[in-house]
Amino acid sequence: MGLLVLAAVAGLAAVERRGFLQAMLSRPVILGPLCGLALGDLGAGLLLGAVLELLFLGAVSLGASMALHETVATAAIAGGAALAGQRLGGQQVAVAALAVAVGLPLAIAGRLAEAAFDKGNQRLDERARRLLLAGDARGAMRCNLLGLAAPFALSALLAPLGAAAIGAAATLLLTAVPRLARPLELAFAAFAALACAAAARSLRTARAPFFFFGSAGTLLVILALGRLHR
Amino acid sequence: MSLAPHTLARVFWRCLFLQAAWNPRGMQNLGFAYAIDPALRELYPDPAARQAALARHLGFFNSHPYMAAAIVGGAIHHEERVARGEEAADQPLTYKATLQGPLAAVGDGFFWTALRPAFGAAAALGALVLGWPALVAAVLLYNAVHLWLRFRLLRDGYLHGDEVVLDIRALCLPAWADRVRLTAAVLAGLAAALLVDRSAGGLAGGLLTAGAAVAGFYLLGRKAPLLPLAYAALLAGVAVGLLGGGS
Repeated sequence: MGLLVLAAVAGLAAVERRGFLQAMLSRPVILGPLCGLALGDLGAGLLLGAVLELLFLGAVSLGASMALHETVATAAIAGGAALAGQRLGGQQVAVAALAVAVGLPLAIAGRLAEAAFDKGNQRLDERARRLLLAGDARGAMRCNLLGLAAPFALSALLAPLGAAAIGAAATLLLTAVPRLARPLELAFAAFAALACAAAARSLRTARAPFFFFGSAGTLLVILALGRLHR
Repeated sequence: MSLAPHTLARVFWRCLFLQAAWNPRGMQNLGFAYAIDPALRELYPDPAARQAALARHLGFFNSHPYMAAAIVGGAIHHEERVARGEEAADQPLTYKATLQGPLAAVGDGFFWTALRPAFGAAAALGALVLGWPALVAAVLLYNAVHLWLRFRLLRDGYLHGDEVVLDIRALCLPAWADRVRLTAAVLAGLAAALLVDRSAGGLAGGLLTAGAAVAGFYLLGRKAPLLPLAYAALLAGVAVGLLGGGS
């Protein structure tokens, strides 16, 4: 049941990402918690959503250039982490690292599929012109909405499959080799740090790095002083 | 201006589907025709005239999906004049061709590379500190700005036609964009500090995260691809952990 809900959420998010509305609902920071919630672990979704949002902060399709498909990857990663976390009864950060490692290639798969769908939409364009010539203006205009079907189907299929694969792989590995948990926690820390660097790089203004590292450094110092004080 | 308010509301709703059938040849052409269709139905009672109007809007169109609302509104403004016989039928197309590029640049610069990243960073920080209520607040606030601007652009385009350029200039979006980007950088930096503080353990962990951030920042600046770097960071973490660091 949870995977069906995940499929619906991921499919709708893929439609919202580009074809309809574009109201941030398909961004990792929102979609991650929704997918975690769908599979019973809001906390995993919040953590992964925040980190993946920073990683993909600059992911935007401008004109004909196509960004990585952060939506389908996030849905699978957050869903898979929620599944594995429930089975293992914790180890949230180690599971998150494995989920990211297994699920990130879906961002590339999603981008390739999206390019293919765009080419397929040219057939919808031709069909609309034919219908309009035949006097069926309403039919011609409906062709626009048909373009939403393929992104929905792709994400509704890939996200639950990816989540199931991630859930199984993470559960198997951490059950078989429990001592991997600590190295995986460090792996997630390094990944999160890289995500932050990607966020700083994505803000296209010369002063952004100074503001980014300045605020990060200041808060780290405050947190360290607070710890010393305690 | 003669369009019924409910027709303008339908056009606004359909503007939200502008990229539903994006394609490399016509780009947002189908979406544009779909959006303007309710207005053309009202302006051209004769089916043949309506069909001709719809056919001319199936030509190439590409702009920023939010800013395109101004062009849809302006195209309706011109179509009204065409329907009244005050303008040649190619005027709406000239209007579209003139504005689509510049408004795409303004929209990409403000919404995609400033406002959305800023709200993304704010939401990420909020998720780490406050949990889901922060996400609800971020989405509501972003969409209050986004939907208000989108509706205002459609209305101004319809009411003022070519003069909508002055309305857009008055919004000062490029000037705001730089400030919003710097705010986003501060918010992303705070989120980064929280993530590093929570996830790094021990001296080795601290050095690892600091190294990943600095090396990642440098290599991304040298155009290194993102996903291979992500795997390199994950592997480095596992390696440090297996070698006994960070315990």
